[in-house]
Amino acid sequence: MTWSTYLPLWPLSVSPALWLALTLVIAVLVGEALVRYLKAPRIVGYMGIGLLLGPGGLGLIASLPAAEWRLVVDLALGILLFELGSKVNLRWLKANPWIAGASLLESIATFFAVFVLLSWFDIPGVAAAVVATIAIATSPAVVVRIVTESRAQGQVTDRLLLMTALNCIYAVIFYKLAIALMHGMTGAGFIHTVLPPLYLIGGSALLAWLFGITFERIHHHLGQHEETFSFVLFGMIAFATIMAATLKLSPILVLLAAGLITRYRRQRPRTFPPHFGSAGAVLVVLMFIANGLVADLRGLYESALLVLLLIAVRTVAKLLPVLALAHYSGISMRQAMALGIALAPMSSVALLLTLDTGATFPAFASGPGLMLMSCIVILELAGPIVVQAALRKAGETPEKKT
Amino acid sequence: MSLMPFAPSRPLSIGVELELQLIGCNDYNLVSSAPDMLRRIAKSPHPGEVKPEMTRSMIEINTSVQQEYDGLVKELRSLRKVVSDAGRFLNVAVAGGGTHPFQHWSEQKIFDAPRFHHLSELYGYLAKQFTIFGQHVHIGCTGPDEALHLMHMLSRYIPHFIALSASSPFVQGHDTGFASARLNSVFSFPLSGRAPFVLSWDDFERFFHKMTTTGVVESMKDFYWDIRPKPEFGTIEVRVCDTPLTVEIAAAIACYIQAMSRYIMVEQRIAPEEDDYLVYTFNRFQACRFGLDGVFIDPCTHEQRSIREDITDMLTRIAGHATELRAEDAMTRIREILSTGNGTNWLRQTYAREHNLGDVMQLQAELWMGN
Repeated sequence: MTWSTYLPLWPLSVSPALWLALTLVIAVLVGEALVRYLKAPRIVGYMGIGLLLGPGGLGLIASLPAAEWRLVVDLALGILLFELGSKVNLRWLKANPWIAGASLLESIATFFAVFVLLSWFDIPGVAAAVVATIAIATSPAVVVRIVTESRAQGQVTDRLLLMTALNCIYAVIFYKLAIALMHGMTGAGFIHTVLPPLYLIGGSALLAWLFGITFERIHHHLGQHEETFSFVLFGMIAFATIMAATLKLSPILVLLAAGLITRYRRQRPRTFPPHFGSAGAVLVVLMFIANGLVADLRGLYESALLVLLLIAVRTVAKLLPVLALAHYSGISMRQAMALGIALAPMSSVALLLTLDTGATFPAFASGPGLMLMSCIVILELAGPIVVQAALRKAGETPEKKT
Repeated sequence: MSLMPFAPSRPLSIGVELELQLIGCNDYNLVSSAPDMLRRIAKSPHPGEVKPEMTRSMIEINTSVQQEYDGLVKELRSLRKVVSDAGRFLNVAVAGGGTHPFQHWSEQKIFDAPRFHHLSELYGYLAKQFTIFGQHVHIGCTGPDEALHLMHMLSRYIPHFIALSASSPFVQGHDTGFASARLNSVFSFPLSGRAPFVLSWDDFERFFHKMTTTGVVESMKDFYWDIRPKPEFGTIEVRVCDTPLTVEIAAAIACYIQAMSRYIMVEQRIAPEEDDYLVYTFNRFQACRFGLDGVFIDPCTHEQRSIREDITDMLTRIAGHATELRAEDAMTRIREILSTGNGTNWLRQTYAREHNLGDVMQLQAELWMGN
């Protein structure tokens, strides 16, 4: 027997997971400090720490194994998307078509504004289209997180949730169309340009619908035990996310649609603990840290002007239509201002789409993708603060205790 | 500030005010949407008035002056339509009921108007706890002395109105065991209870003057009495009812009070006595706690029976007056409440079936909005 059989070797060889665990602790502490001293949202701390300690910052933590972190991000995002979907009342669009109008208009405006800007900067048409579709989506992760954290309620909150869900759906669908175009450019046949979006929409809808039916069956039998039920739901979300990925469908679309369908069919909202319990909440925190870890600001050094212009143009393109239709859709200018600004955040959805594109088209990853990544990082860090401030300005967060 | 002179009004005319709950469609909790709702409602023409209330999750609808049940129901229905349409447009549900079953008082926000901010400063958390929803019924009187007479005579039957309208068993997530828990919140105000026993307007003005010189009150609005005179309208205002779960019940209860007033003014013609009030708080408590099954002690004979029996008896006595006022349909509805139960019974049965106060709240809103 030697020393080394029972004592660790020096220097210690530790698994990267140890650093990740430590990062979780630090990130949560920093998040709490932000809330306590700066009244800023916690998730800014989570992402900030990820960014600071990760490869993009001080480089204390090596880049994560892609497969593992992807699973965490997919699951956490799945939870947030299902949560978003189940908070949104699609019937409202029938009673107030002006909201549907505002949503379509802001998405179209965003697409064209970004597309024109990028073309002006000599970015090839198809790549510009891909970036413009990604820019349509408001971050569901940031929106759901901030609404939950600030316990906001009211017109701006309800509309923000609804318009976020809708513009994510448009973004994913048109993104897939743009990608199909990109494949067409790189020499795939016509059939492979047309079929992917059809498969995506049909397959995702079918999976979401099956999810909805199963949800209802299980709910019917389990009934009143909210907590038990949220465990089952958690499992179902994980299953659907992995299933969607396996079938090469969009987990984003499937989970969002599943939430919308269950709410639409049941008509009565269910109240679940935030993120369906503490397991979900931990995943959500990990997701934001992971987003910080993959953050990459190199694009900002290379094309700072374009990055800043893109952010400005996108924000204005989302704000103006909301302001223009405010009166008809029944909100005040002050509320419309808050709503339009709160549509600005970009985060996980945009990040995943950008990374997926980069994986298929390396030229995109080193060109427009890099630039887009910087936009996402900035809007991911600033987004939560902006949404929180907007909801406060709109008077939709609880008043200070007297 | 002195008391306004008592404006004459058409005797036995009626007006109804209903305080309504604004509910968010995501969690069925109260939502601070009163400014949005009022802005929307201002755009569509409607009879009567729609007004803000103390906290931003309430609005109030007022009918114009009405003479009989049919007109009253019609106007309340068109007000309901205006309010419900605005609600659907804004994803806000509107509901009756005296309390919200699980709202937390500390999360309520005071409506932005000087009077409400002043009250909030004065009463502190009581103002936010005042997120309760009542029905007020105005009865027109020919003159001030008649008004005071009617007010004291109706005071005997306060338990009837409480028990018929009771629809607030749940407070802050729990069944209080009360039929009308809402009134418990009113009792914590310093100037709640009953009006002083004065029978002439001159005496009443003297009382009011003495109260204003003490600095305790500034106007009639500072008295939270169960029934109070409203000199500028020339009415007395019965304020003990919970907002019922439907506008039809609200109208029926208003007409029950109207028919009883006609009976008091035309047929009964006896003077009220201060000793009537000996049993007042006991009777009122019984009505709040047990609803229609509560004990009613007759102030004159000291005979005991259930409130339900006393209402049944009253319905026979006022039948002729109800016919004169064309309020037979209203009396039929009152009989229905006696046999099938009040709002509190409906809420408890619904909770027993749904096991979830959020679902109860949703069904309660659907019942009120009539969809």
